[in-house]
Amino acid sequence: MVWKAWRIGDVIHYPGSEEVEKYVYTPGIHGIEFAKALKEGRILGMKCPGGVHVPPKTYCPDGSPGELVEVKGPWRIATFTVVYEDIYGNPLPEPQVLALIRPDDARRGGLIHIVKADPDAVYIGMEVKPHWRPPEQRTGHITDIEYFEPA
Amino acid sequence: MRTNIFVKDRVAVVGAGLTLFRRRLQETPRELAWEAAKQALESAGLTFDDIDCIVTGTAPDAFDGLHFNGEYIADAGGFGKPTVRVYVGGGTGVFVPVAAWWHAASGLCDTVLAVAEEKMSPAHPHPQGVFAYIWDPILERPLGPNLIWIFAMEMRRYMYKCGATKETIAKVSVKNKRNALDHPAAQAAANITVEDVLNSELLVWPVNRLDISPVSDGAAAVILARENEARRITDSPVWVEGIGFTLDNTHWYNRELAFPRYVNYAARMAYKMAGIERPWKEIDVAEPYDPFDYKELHHIEGLMLARPCEAPKLLEEGWFDRSGELPTSPSGGLLGVGNPIAAAGLMKVAEIFWQLRYEAGPRQVKKPVHYGVAQAWGDLMQAGTVIVLGN
Repeated sequence: MVWKAWRIGDVIHYPGSEEVEKYVYTPGIHGIEFAKALKEGRILGMKCPGGVHVPPKTYCPDGSPGELVEVKGPWRIATFTVVYEDIYGNPLPEPQVLALIRPDDARRGGLIHIVKADPDAVYIGMEVKPHWRPPEQRTGHITDIEYFEPA
Repeated sequence: MRTNIFVKDRVAVVGAGLTLFRRRLQETPRELAWEAAKQALESAGLTFDDIDCIVTGTAPDAFDGLHFNGEYIADAGGFGKPTVRVYVGGGTGVFVPVAAWWHAASGLCDTVLAVAEEKMSPAHPHPQGVFAYIWDPILERPLGPNLIWIFAMEMRRYMYKCGATKETIAKVSVKNKRNALDHPAAQAAANITVEDVLNSELLVWPVNRLDISPVSDGAAAVILARENEARRITDSPVWVEGIGFTLDNTHWYNRELAFPRYVNYAARMAYKMAGIERPWKEIDVAEPYDPFDYKELHHIEGLMLARPCEAPKLLEEGWFDRSGELPTSPSGGLLGVGNPIAAAGLMKVAEIFWQLRYEAGPRQVKKPVHYGVAQAWGDLMQAGTVIVLGN
């Protein structure tokens, strides 16, 4: 194909480098609480006028301060996709399901996460539940939930 | 003489808000923007529902480490509304209210929230690395320039042309850091002496550590409204009398560095719109952009508040003190309050707003005020943005 024929060696070029070695991001005021709760195996949301938002923010859409609440689910798949290749174009050992997962008790938002299930068996509206890493492996990252699995 | 551009309505600033300026803040960029916006709204007695349009501004995405950072921070009340981000590097802070003025003066929106945010702390090992990407990648970058180099050369050129000494220039840093002692958001307020500046770490001659503003996180916001709406909101609106912006040549080495033409052209545009013919007499308080101490003098001259090369002499006479004839950076400026890039420019606009409302508390200048000017500067040292406010 034409676009594959043009390689970097075909143009006269000067290589450059990135001088910012890394970024450190702060999770924000309520992000800290969210991370702490992940370590405890809980998922937090924010109760605002109009419904619960997951994940929580510092503020509600109307500007009012919200209230942190635990979101218990049940969780359902709102939409999903199946990934076959990684970012470099290499085939994955096995297809991976990624889904937008919303809890029934929250009105807004949801989590994007991996669903460990047969791609052919996944459907919109399917109930799933978080599969947590063992407590000693949890670090306050979203990956403390290893994946979601069919409930 | 006023220009005959078509302006449907006069526009006023009716509220302003500011977060703390600090080296490292826990809040996310979005939370900072929201906090500043909420303060600005509360100061005007408004809520997010009362806002028609939003203008956001942040300097390079590479500081926060988030692409589309302007859209990201627009969450400060921006969703479901016409929202736009403007960007001219360090000049963004004053460009945000300029763009907000277009929205209101054209009649498109009654109320506009202008919010600017910068979080420089995510970039490691130092945010200075981000600036490496503003130079020509082939001709300049291989030499390893950083921002301080080129300003050191500009400072040296200014000292040579104007006969300004390091001691005189250091007095800007002393003045601004002292002014900032009265600013509740200030990061680098201090009572220092000229000797402290001269004896601080020498970075790139003739620039010492205390000649430069700090690296900061923070956000600022102002609310603009069309005349009818503004009069409903407040009894003391601060009118946007003039706006100006210019871009100079990207080849900074082609310019006479001792005089900031990019500011001068933008200032002339704003003064013409405001009907100001003798800014050195008619402007009562100014917030020139002061990331470096010599830069304040440089920009005072660009804003025509002093003749070229006259600012160092006037500074020595106390002309620019809070109690002086023409107070500059009464807030404490970037040197004293801090320099979260886009937010710092908007902080200057907010300060002129508070000065013209006589709401600046201990920072209020001694003389009566009618007209004020705020200015910022950015991109590869070539973008000038100016706003003239009046009460």
